[in-house]
Amino acid sequence: MRHLTRLTALAASLAFTFSALPANAGAVLDRVLAAKTLKVATDANWAPQSFMNDKNELDGFDVDVAKDIGKRLGVSVEFITPGWDIITAGNWSGRWDMHVGSMTPTKKRAEIFDFPGVYYYTPAAVAVHKDSKATTLADLNDKAVGTTATSTFEAYAKQDLTLDAAGAPAFKYEFKPKDVKSYSNSTTAFDDLRLGDGTRLDAVVSSLPSIIDAEKAGYPIKQLGAPVFYEPLAVATEHGDAEFDAKISEAVKGMQSDGTLSKLSVKWYGVDYTVVK
Amino acid sequence: MLYPDTVEAEVLVHKPWFVVTMFAVILAIFLAFNLTGTTMGELMRPVIGDPLQSGLYGRFAVAFVVAVIFSLNVVLIGFAPLKIQIAIVWFELLLLFLAFFETFHLSLPFIWEKLPFLITQGAVTTLYVSAISIVIASVIAILGAVAKLSTNGFAYAIASFYTSFFRGLPLLMQVYLIYLGLPQLGFVIDAVPAGILALSLCYGAYMTEIFRSGIQSIDRGQWEASRSIGFGFGITMRRIILPQALPVIIPPTGNQFISMLKDSSLVSVIGVWELMFLARTLGQKSFQHMEMLISTALIYWIMSICLELIQSRIERHYARSKVR
Repeated sequence: MRHLTRLTALAASLAFTFSALPANAGAVLDRVLAAKTLKVATDANWAPQSFMNDKNELDGFDVDVAKDIGKRLGVSVEFITPGWDIITAGNWSGRWDMHVGSMTPTKKRAEIFDFPGVYYYTPAAVAVHKDSKATTLADLNDKAVGTTATSTFEAYAKQDLTLDAAGAPAFKYEFKPKDVKSYSNSTTAFDDLRLGDGTRLDAVVSSLPSIIDAEKAGYPIKQLGAPVFYEPLAVATEHGDAEFDAKISEAVKGMQSDGTLSKLSVKWYGVDYTVVK
Repeated sequence: MLYPDTVEAEVLVHKPWFVVTMFAVILAIFLAFNLTGTTMGELMRPVIGDPLQSGLYGRFAVAFVVAVIFSLNVVLIGFAPLKIQIAIVWFELLLLFLAFFETFHLSLPFIWEKLPFLITQGAVTTLYVSAISIVIASVIAILGAVAKLSTNGFAYAIASFYTSFFRGLPLLMQVYLIYLGLPQLGFVIDAVPAGILALSLCYGAYMTEIFRSGIQSIDRGQWEASRSIGFGFGITMRRIILPQALPVIIPPTGNQFISMLKDSSLVSVIGVWELMFLARTLGQKSFQHMEMLISTALIYWIMSICLELIQSRIERHYARSKVR
């Protein structure tokens, strides 16, 4: 009999924990304000948006934007660095509150995420090896192209890209590759491209800033043609807390109007990417 | 050592047929590559003239010299006592590795600058994640082994289902399943505990089988004798079976520990800042990831060597009865 009571108590407490844990609607803002910390997920491998600096701390454009949003909310910011595929899988279950990691608001992603603030636009471009004979983007037809897995660059290379965020300029597919290889990050793709023209890859589709960065670091690559599309990039949150979204949206608008965003963009890219050209 | 007999015989590397064969093979291998453009060709300049102009003659001369040096080296090492032989061969292989890394033109100042952080943050995280997982996995393994050997249908079914499932899935997938799947049930689990859980469950399953086979390797006569003098199950296991099974269990278990240390790198995908994660991120901004990957590789290697040493110590301890 005693056993039975104990078992029942155990079952009851288990059931309680199960039902109590999932986050309730509207709870994110309360949690952030109560803890005085905003937990931000970002990538640690995506210079110059977010990366480890000389002091082994996270730094970069996205990181600065996240810190500024935190400042405007009156809370401190804590960074968490799960893999990109884990962030885009959704079901954050309160492990982090928002994601500032240059996410493009596509329709599919909007099924799991809200995008309370578009904070800049990145030109996506094509890089080829220095020795490449390609002179126009159309020369890349039936070639092997490298991209980052589950990114808009991959979607573009596979001709499966939808840009439906407000203010995204129209684009067209300039080439149709034979083979699209997807890597976990763009550096690995550049590493394969640097091996030689056509050794493993003929071209890489990536963001223009990261192509320029790789070029500066001595990679034997060059940009081919004009940028292929402009990617709007936004802060992402999970569905369910409209108040929290409103706060973030207000913070991002504030950063746009008082020039903070443009200043940060010039600081990190040397160019103002926060307006569409 | 298999069986060190006392028959006097000439050392293999001193037998003429072996030396000639070795010389011919090395000569053929180095003839296949044109090494005149390397440092080796440069060293041979007094004999062959301008290395790049020397053609087939230069190529043959370089290969010949390399083959002579190699064969002489092997023959000379053959004269040394066993322990010194082992030391010299280790040392030479190590030199070859360093020469290989040297060709990458790594930036040493960058490595020195990042090394303290790699160790204090990365190696420490890797070590404590694997250490905790090893302890939990060992406990699971003992329980699992006993369950798999029991005549209780439930215990056997659960244990065999467990080993089959967790040995049957890739560890990376288990990490993802636990980190992303458990929150669906309401358990929000942090990255580090999720990684530890995945590692413990996966390695617990492998080690269950190791422990089971170790226990089964003990002759049933031992059980019969123990039971006939009135020992119960617990005391038989503790005092008779396990002490004899341990020498069988320890070598493969040490293997598991070493491989766990390296497989803990898989938890980097869920954002734990352990060695592998730092290796991939620290050099990213300045495109110096080759530096970080190689230094991390060496750190992993050094940690594995420590485990190897510990393992050989324990093995020697349990082999006392076999030493004459």
